[in-house]
Amino acid sequence: MIFQRSVPKNVEETNELEASERSHQHVQDEVETVVGPSVNVEGDFASEGNIVVKGTVSGSVFTSKHLTVEMGAKIIANVRAGSATIAGEVKGNMKIKEALELVSTSRVVGDIDVKNLKVESGALLYGKITMPGIEVGEKSVKTKTFRKAEDAGVQFAG
Amino acid sequence: MYVYIYDNFLRQKNFLSTIHSMEVILTDYGIAGKILRLQNYTDSKAVIEDEIKRGAKTVVIVGNDATFGQILSRSATCDCTFGFLPVGPNNTIAEVLGIPVGAPACTVLSRRRKEFLDVGWMNNRYFVSQLRVMPAKLEVIYDERFKVTAADKMEVVVCNLQPFFWKRDKKDREQRVVHPQDGKLEAFIRPLTKSGWWGYKYEEPSIFPFEEMIITGKEPFAVEADGKLSKEIKVKIKLAHSKVEMIVGRDRKF
Repeated sequence: MIFQRSVPKNVEETNELEASERSHQHVQDEVETVVGPSVNVEGDFASEGNIVVKGTVSGSVFTSKHLTVEMGAKIIANVRAGSATIAGEVKGNMKIKEALELVSTSRVVGDIDVKNLKVESGALLYGKITMPGIEVGEKSVKTKTFRKAEDAGVQFAG
Repeated sequence: MYVYIYDNFLRQKNFLSTIHSMEVILTDYGIAGKILRLQNYTDSKAVIEDEIKRGAKTVVIVGNDATFGQILSRSATCDCTFGFLPVGPNNTIAEVLGIPVGAPACTVLSRRRKEFLDVGWMNNRYFVSQLRVMPAKLEVIYDERFKVTAADKMEVVVCNLQPFFWKRDKKDREQRVVHPQDGKLEAFIRPLTKSGWWGYKYEEPSIFPFEEMIITGKEPFAVEADGKLSKEIKVKIKLAHSKVEMIVGRDRKF
């Protein structure tokens, strides 16, 4: 009995497998619209759920949730999405509500309006980036001149 | 009053014991009723409407996916509650409805947990399980907003209740399943690309949830809806919300 495992190894493995399967299923459930490779979509492409693009899309793309552009995929359209991960090519302006991730294989030509931006080294980007929270007229560093040393709160030794 | 419509294949010897045990359970529950047998040329709509006039309130389909599709594609508009007792192989819809195959299905039927199901509408008839457009050069327009095309032929499968099973290629052992959601129809588009001199290879499928779709082809293409084959040049597919009242199980997938 001393050498007996409290939980058999196989059970642990199956539990892990089940957990991974469940997470995979969860991901599959989340994925609603998939544009497969060698498929062309033209027009106002809109979806209420997540979009995964592996082929070509031209026109406009809109989703309130996550947009994934896989490597080899091409979007020639203005994009509006909740969040996005780009590994393919995008030609058009992008307006992303939350986070945008540009993977090292991505090529983006167009202006980007985003809250959080993450760019991996190797990603190619040509365009203007606008982020909320900073205005053009605002001074980035506020300076204050001190008349006396006491005002500055600095004490000199000696 | 309950009316049971048995598929013709249930006459085979290997199903006799299951059918017998089901009939015993149904009698025990007090929900046994008239039994009708489905023949090849039976018009299920006329038969069901006749039974409704005689006082039938619940029509129970006994058989597999094919039986389910054959009856409901014709009689989705009938004013009655439908039940399903799945027997034998090829029962994928039963899983979606949360009904176990064989005798345990009688318990689900007796509990009478009712749900309204959406039905697909194709040109001039309903389809319940699945619609398949055989590989052809097609153009698909979704909700009058965007158009989907492929370089060569493509196959379109529209799923309502039946899950979509697919494999990457012939060597792929893992069978992938996508379960359709309620409230929308799911279209699975698989383009074919040339491989070698004669052969074609299936590409990964594209998935589009939709409510209305138009498929057009330059040449007539074959369409199979609930096992019924026809040739069309233009197909308009729509979703008819909450058309069928159905007795479902607790473990249903919607």
